[in-house]
Amino acid sequence: VLNRRCVEAAVMTGLALKCSINKKSLFDRKHYFYADLPAGYQITQQRVPIAVNGSLSYSLCIDNKMSQMVTKTVRIKQIQLEQDSGKSLHDDTRSQTLVDLNRAGVGLMEVVMEPDMCCGEEAAAAVRELQLILQTLGSSQAVMAEGQLRVDANVSVHHPGEPYGVRTEVKNINSIRFLAKAVDYEIQRQIEELENGGTILNETRAFDSKLGCTVPMRDKEGKQDYRFMPEPNLPPLILYDAKSLPANMNHQQVINIDWIHERLPDLPSVKREKLVEQYEILPEHSFALLNEDGLAEFFESVVKQTQMKPKKVIGWILNDLLSHLKQHSLTVKESPVSSFLLADLLNLLEKKEISSTVAKRVLAELWKGEGKTPLEIVKEQKLELLQDQKELEQICQAVIDGQENE
Amino acid sequence: QKVSVEVLDHLEHLALVDFRDSEGVERLQKAIQFADQLHEVNTDGVEPMDSVLEDRCLYLREDDVTEGNCSKDLLENAREKVEEYFVAPPGNIPLPKLEERDTFLQGS
Repeated sequence: VLNRRCVEAAVMTGLALKCSINKKSLFDRKHYFYADLPAGYQITQQRVPIAVNGSLSYSLCIDNKMSQMVTKTVRIKQIQLEQDSGKSLHDDTRSQTLVDLNRAGVGLMEVVMEPDMCCGEEAAAAVRELQLILQTLGSSQAVMAEGQLRVDANVSVHHPGEPYGVRTEVKNINSIRFLAKAVDYEIQRQIEELENGGTILNETRAFDSKLGCTVPMRDKEGKQDYRFMPEPNLPPLILYDAKSLPANMNHQQVINIDWIHERLPDLPSVKREKLVEQYEILPEHSFALLNEDGLAEFFESVVKQTQMKPKKVIGWILNDLLSHLKQHSLTVKESPVSSFLLADLLNLLEKKEISSTVAKRVLAELWKGEGKTPLEIVKEQKLELLQDQKELEQICQAVIDGQENE
Repeated sequence: QKVSVEVLDHLEHLALVDFRDSEGVERLQKAIQFADQLHEVNTDGVEPMDSVLEDRCLYLREDDVTEGNCSKDLLENAREKVEEYFVAPPGNIPLPKLEERDTFLQGS
């Protein structure tokens, strides 16, 4: 039985990735034997998937300099709905596989990309952007470490001008960092193999994160014949738009593509543009803000509560706040310093009651979370900037006098 | 035409069927012949139908949890288990190659 939410999530994702949504899509059975697939087949959409022909734009830093960003695009071949299998845990010591069937049958969305990326860095950047989009849409929380987002990388090499070479599929990639490593390793491996006169097998390989390399996966006995056949229990999935909406159908059974389109939230790329325009920050700042969950909201909250210009606030968010968070492995939500406190501190700085060096000290003190306000800390430790001309003259004079006496 | 030994062997690997003897293979041949009659119909320009359900509505279920918490019942069926996992062999044990198995197909 198809879950409505799965269909909505697939349509949202398809629209966000600029795909054509197929108003009629079909389900098929893909047959193979494996311990984690008790039915012996997986229901998927091989002939006519729910969405096709989209694109995903992502940005890369040239030479690791955030100030030089270039935009790239990867074409999305299709998005299909399918069933998950169970989870296998391999116990090599006891020569057995433990199978957990809890997730078997749960709906999955597979996003198939065209081979438009040329290295690990591009793959990682593309997947990161996809992750942000999925999280923004609410289609998925897309945490790779928990298997909510899984990536299989297909890698091949070829000389310029020649057709694409034989590809290998790399599985068992558990993070974006490992994705980049796995892709780059596999590219190198294939190049070396070919330069030594060898050939590339169309095989499935697993990424070994400890060794940083890919190894052939057992159990993949040559090319599989999945004997695809239409799924007899699921009629075609029909989606509607404003024009084709049927008059007398049960509302709960109808999915209206236009209705979903109107309710799409701002995608990351749009959010970034708005941040840059509204607050006059740099594009790379907007990337950094969106890269950390909750950081953009924190920034906007501080800006609302302080007279300091957003252009100056951004430095405090991206340099100071963020480094404190990273040092203590905290998320923005777990920050001991609220946006209110930070705004308070920045106001003192803006009114020139303290220096920026002092502000950094006070921030570190606030981080201890002892409940003191910035002003209390400044007064306690006597960190105020002296404004009185006379007092300053007296101090300078005293220092000079002190020197003369030596 | 007759179905080749390679195809029969391939089918036995894929679907783990066992044609057992010449009668089994003969039955397969007859089934294919029977289905081949479909070719006599001119289907130019006609959309293939893959299900008698094609005019029905695909029922969409609400995203509500209505069952679960029955791991004990489900695990009861397992011959071997470890904690709450089913135990399976370390990997697929593929059917031995044609030369190595005891099947009538060898003789053909």
